[in-house]
Amino acid sequence: MAFIEMQNVTKQFRVYPRQKGFANALKSLVYKPYEIKTAVDGIDFSIAKGELVGYIGANGAGKSTTIKMLSGILVPTSGQIEVGGLVPHENRKRNAGRIGVVFGQRSQLYWDLPMEETFDLYKRMYKIDAAAFKRNVQFFVELLDMQEFVRRPTRQLSLGQKMRANLALAMLHDPEILYLDEPTIGLDVVAKSKIRKFIREINREKATTVILTTHDMNDIEEICDRLIMIDHGRKMFDGTLHEFKQTYSDSTIVILDLEEDAALQVSDGRLKVIQEDGQRKYVSIDKNIISLVDAITQLAQTNRIREVNVKEPDIEDTVRRIFEK
Amino acid sequence: MHTFKLYLEFIKIRIVSHIEYRKMFLFWFFAQWIAYGVQLLLIWVMVHRFQDIQGWKPFEVVLLYALSLNSYALAGFFFYNPCTQLSHLVRTGEFDEILTRPLNPFLYLVSREFNFGYITHVVLAVPVTVVSFVMLDIPFTFTNILMLLLILIGGALIQGAVFLFTSVPAFWIVDSNGMQNVLFQFRDFANYPLSIYHKSIQILLTFVIPFAFINFYPAQFFLGKQDFSVFHPAFQFMTPLVGLVMFALALWFWHFGINRYKSTGS
Repeated sequence: MAFIEMQNVTKQFRVYPRQKGFANALKSLVYKPYEIKTAVDGIDFSIAKGELVGYIGANGAGKSTTIKMLSGILVPTSGQIEVGGLVPHENRKRNAGRIGVVFGQRSQLYWDLPMEETFDLYKRMYKIDAAAFKRNVQFFVELLDMQEFVRRPTRQLSLGQKMRANLALAMLHDPEILYLDEPTIGLDVVAKSKIRKFIREINREKATTVILTTHDMNDIEEICDRLIMIDHGRKMFDGTLHEFKQTYSDSTIVILDLEEDAALQVSDGRLKVIQEDGQRKYVSIDKNIISLVDAITQLAQTNRIREVNVKEPDIEDTVRRIFEK
Repeated sequence: MHTFKLYLEFIKIRIVSHIEYRKMFLFWFFAQWIAYGVQLLLIWVMVHRFQDIQGWKPFEVVLLYALSLNSYALAGFFFYNPCTQLSHLVRTGEFDEILTRPLNPFLYLVSREFNFGYITHVVLAVPVTVVSFVMLDIPFTFTNILMLLLILIGGALIQGAVFLFTSVPAFWIVDSNGMQNVLFQFRDFANYPLSIYHKSIQILLTFVIPFAFINFYPAQFFLGKQDFSVFHPAFQFMTPLVGLVMFALALWFWHFGINRYKSTGS
């Protein structure tokens, strides 16, 4: 059995749609109709130790629900979950000792304590031994650039600082697994890049298994080796980033700047002109049926080209296209 | 032991942060003191005017009040905040944090949300207990003090269980605070001897919401009374047992609730 294993896991919620009007409100006191909403619908996957997995999907696709089941917060409606030999929701305490979690903007910090004291509290809560604790605090404070604010009360920290503090806390007890639910949401570019660097670094140094959900495709592109995509609670894709691009982004865009403002001459049906913008032309090609070299050679034969640029499929465009379908 | 000290640490953090808002704390302290003082005064005036209620003398009724307030204070320290906050924690999804700690979620919540404000009630209730013991010539023997402690702990468990029973539905009903208010209104029945009420209320307060075990039955142990209506005199010794059973049921209910937690929010 793999380190993290989900087998045919489903999670359903009851939702009570609000009825309009006073009469219906009164009626709902006695009888309230509900609908079953399936947030996660028969998901399977297995993740090996030390993997760095991006978990993506549109809002409401079931990402958070999956993470919450893995961390033991939610009980699945059906199916099996095992994390390092434990069923998370049945062994919450033991499972919690081995995982670190950061859930979006929801803070793990103690409002009235400065960071340093929160660190000490964590040391006792997770029974971290003195040497490891000292080493980790030093390592994380440096890696996340926290020197300037470790002594400040938590309530005075900025969003980016809080997120960094949360990450450090989540990793303080050297958890085997780190669950991150949108760790870069609402942050500026600098803070984002610090956080990405941190995640890569701890994965390399400590071999921590990381599962992260995000809407920022740069997170995925810069951090993750593997990608799992879900939509409406079902798994749509599971594989490497490279495979993802090959599977879903069938088109590469060739951008041509012509010598003069003329219509583009195309003789091959495999080359699709998608946009003409003065001298600049956009041609989409499917690399499965025509190679890039062939495409450019053909275009060069019928047109006077000044410059050629090739735009490889962008993961964000790809995901957007899939969801729009 | 290690874990126990950790829970104490959370309580300490709470107390320190409570005291940091000194003015607010003092204001609240006096407001509570006046509210409960007035309530006690009203009971006193009432009983004193009639001299006796169903054979209960004024200070005997004061003792009932003291037992009820003491055990309520003990329960309030630990359960007031967690229980009134629970529906908020569930609604916002903040309860997630409690389930991702290597700690017992219940003990963690109870110590993290410790309400130091109930010191007010203790400061009022302890002297009132001592005064009523003195005025009623109840000697401070070892047995009496031990019984008093057991009764207070049992009473606190009963009150704590009521807090829990009324708040756990927050896991599936969005707002459960209304129920809490209704049930705690019932506590006021316990300000007077149970025997003055209609039988149906006596049964309700003995078997359904057993507030009568907080003060009415056990007080008779100290007073040597035999005012048990249709119930058995052995009830005067049963407070700790009723407390334990009620609390065990409440904890079971809590676990039932946790597994139905929906974790709304993001």
